[in-house]
Amino acid sequence: MLQLISKFKNNAEARESKDEVLIGEMVFTMAYQGCPTIGFQAGTDLQYVKFKPVQDRLLHSLTIVLDRKTGDSALQQAVIGSKATLTFVAEVKNYIADPDDLVHMFKTDMANLFRNPWMGDIKLDHQLNSVTATKKQIIDIDKYTGANAESRELLKQLLIGTMQELREKLVPYKK
Amino acid sequence: MSEDLDQVYGQLVKRSWQRFDEQRMAREVDDLLVGAVVTAMVAEGNVLIDLNSDGNHHHLRFEHPPTKSRVLFRLTHVTGDVLAAKTLGHYAAVQMGYGEQVQDARTVWQALKSEIKSGFLDVGEPGVMTVDADLTTSYVYVQVELLLDLAPYFADQYTIKYPVLQQHLAAVRQALAKYLRGRITTTVSS
Repeated sequence: MLQLISKFKNNAEARESKDEVLIGEMVFTMAYQGCPTIGFQAGTDLQYVKFKPVQDRLLHSLTIVLDRKTGDSALQQAVIGSKATLTFVAEVKNYIADPDDLVHMFKTDMANLFRNPWMGDIKLDHQLNSVTATKKQIIDIDKYTGANAESRELLKQLLIGTMQELREKLVPYKK
Repeated sequence: MSEDLDQVYGQLVKRSWQRFDEQRMAREVDDLLVGAVVTAMVAEGNVLIDLNSDGNHHHLRFEHPPTKSRVLFRLTHVTGDVLAAKTLGHYAAVQMGYGEQVQDARTVWQALKSEIKSGFLDVGEPGVMTVDADLTTSYVYVQVELLLDLAPYFADQYTIKYPVLQQHLAAVRQALAKYLRGRITTTVSS
């Protein structure tokens, strides 16, 4: 008769929806920090959300990829808890048209970046006119999905703190 | 001469970026609204329990923990390119559903679905409420399809008018809940 409910997997158990709950809390938290969503890809094995830091003159976007590692079964949940890997990718875009400036940029900044792409646990990468800084963090989902003031403050610190950390690494590469 | 050509080239690239940004903005409108729907629903005490998106078709499912009621939301951006958006204005096909957990969902569902006897009915027509059930979780849902203009939800490119969005979501939810409860009551008492 209708297909709407058939589009959803059947998450009878609340623990199986924890990654979605976390995505919802992240979208909510980032919206209140002036970072609306500009991209979604979500299936059974991948959840990624792209945010736009609207007031930030340096960052073009921040993408967060959620990869659920444990906690799908009741046994895993009891023994290990619900762990997930969050991959943060902050992106700077350079809008340079002058070919001389482009050549200069590749000779200096990009050459250094290729020689030494790691800065601590943050990896810098360069593709075409984008420079990205990537950091992976393993988190305990339960800490951030309480939907209360405490869990939301923790999530805000995680998201905004990581975004600022990545931003600092990208400052030298914004032209 | 070389400097002049470099300047001309620079102007061509800058104009290209402007055009490219127009296209990008047209593509991003639905993602902005989906994020806004998530934010508005979470702000109202719901939790997101399902998310499917291929970038074009977005499916969201929320649960309101105190009442266990659920809201389904599907958004397909109809005018995802600049030409369509400028001609028609941005709009999206939205299906919104509301569900409640009921005892003996199978019986309720059988009674409700027996009303649809004709295969010629267009259940995708806007404003038509249809009923479905998820028997494994004992939820009965009612859903409606709408074609929504997106401009009323935006103050500017990245600023959402949350009061408008929240009012519209609440209005549809209330209408669906009224219909579902009315139908269940009628079905159970008959």
